[in-house]
Amino acid sequence: MIESQRHSFHLVDPSPWPISGSLGALATTVGGVMYMHPFQGGATLLSLGIIFILYTMFVWWRDVIRESTLEGHHTKVVQLGPRYGSIPFIVSEVMFLFALFRASSHSSLAPTVEIGGIWPPKGIGVLDPREIPFLNTPILPSSGAAVTWAHHAILAGKEKRAVYALVATVLLALVSTGFQGMEYYQAPSTISDSIYGSTFSLATGFHGFHVIIGTLFSIICGIRQYLGHLTKEHHVGFEAAAWYWHFVDVVRLFLFVSIYWWGGI
Amino acid sequence: MEEVHLQTAPADFRFPSTNQTRHCFTRYIEFHRCLAAKGEESGDCEKFAKYYRSLCPVEWIEKWNEQRENGTFPGPL
Repeated sequence: MIESQRHSFHLVDPSPWPISGSLGALATTVGGVMYMHPFQGGATLLSLGIIFILYTMFVWWRDVIRESTLEGHHTKVVQLGPRYGSIPFIVSEVMFLFALFRASSHSSLAPTVEIGGIWPPKGIGVLDPREIPFLNTPILPSSGAAVTWAHHAILAGKEKRAVYALVATVLLALVSTGFQGMEYYQAPSTISDSIYGSTFSLATGFHGFHVIIGTLFSIICGIRQYLGHLTKEHHVGFEAAAWYWHFVDVVRLFLFVSIYWWGGI
Repeated sequence: MEEVHLQTAPADFRFPSTNQTRHCFTRYIEFHRCLAAKGEESGDCEKFAKYYRSLCPVEWIEKWNEQRENGTFPGPL
């Protein structure tokens, strides 16, 4: 066990999850390409690949929880890995979303003559930013405030309160996602409506996808907190979730200002 | 031999770069806005017409005229 090793690092046991994740990624990419070109079986391979990746994530992270919380391998130095590693991951997500924002600016700041040199293009039904978007915009930061509340509760050792705070975080996030779904459903234009639809849908859609991932992460944290996994000194998973959630939050604000508000006038 | 008077659209400081697409498009729109504001008969709009006809490829003008007839012209006329 950990007492028998004379160093504070974690040498992991051999695991099949890296290879299974890679095979899942291979299936997803090949299946995706097959699906988008006229090859038989593309959709099946794509879905199998995605399911495989999701399964790998589940079992890999379950193993991490087992090794850390239940077996005690995550000493202070081991914790630095996931903690500081989450930061480059979030930065990579920022870069991805930055590319989508850039696409939107590229098309909207100097609209081409093919769409009439104006933005939004003629005939595109634009959502009024003062309606659902404006409603959704304070909901996500409130969720961010709730996750901060949860963090303070964890640090203060108030376990039950932390569970309530995480429930509030998740509920607000779900409400926001629900509103966003409603907005998409009754929006006057779609993804296929001109470059406006493409850039709008990609930016808001991928942001929404990240919201869903963040919500899932927060739900898992809530469950773990409920089960007593998180202590006031050791809650790296929760911190990563909170950072990710704040990032999603900030992106939402940029989204509102640049795409909903500025892009619609 | 008579002197042939050659002229093209004047350089417009709004469009300083080599790509004059936007210049052509703007003059086309200005001409039609002028017609809408001042009427078909007035001679004030002729200069815009000369400008866009010098700048724009004939294919674009034909396409835009067709779009205007169909009501699908995307610009702010």
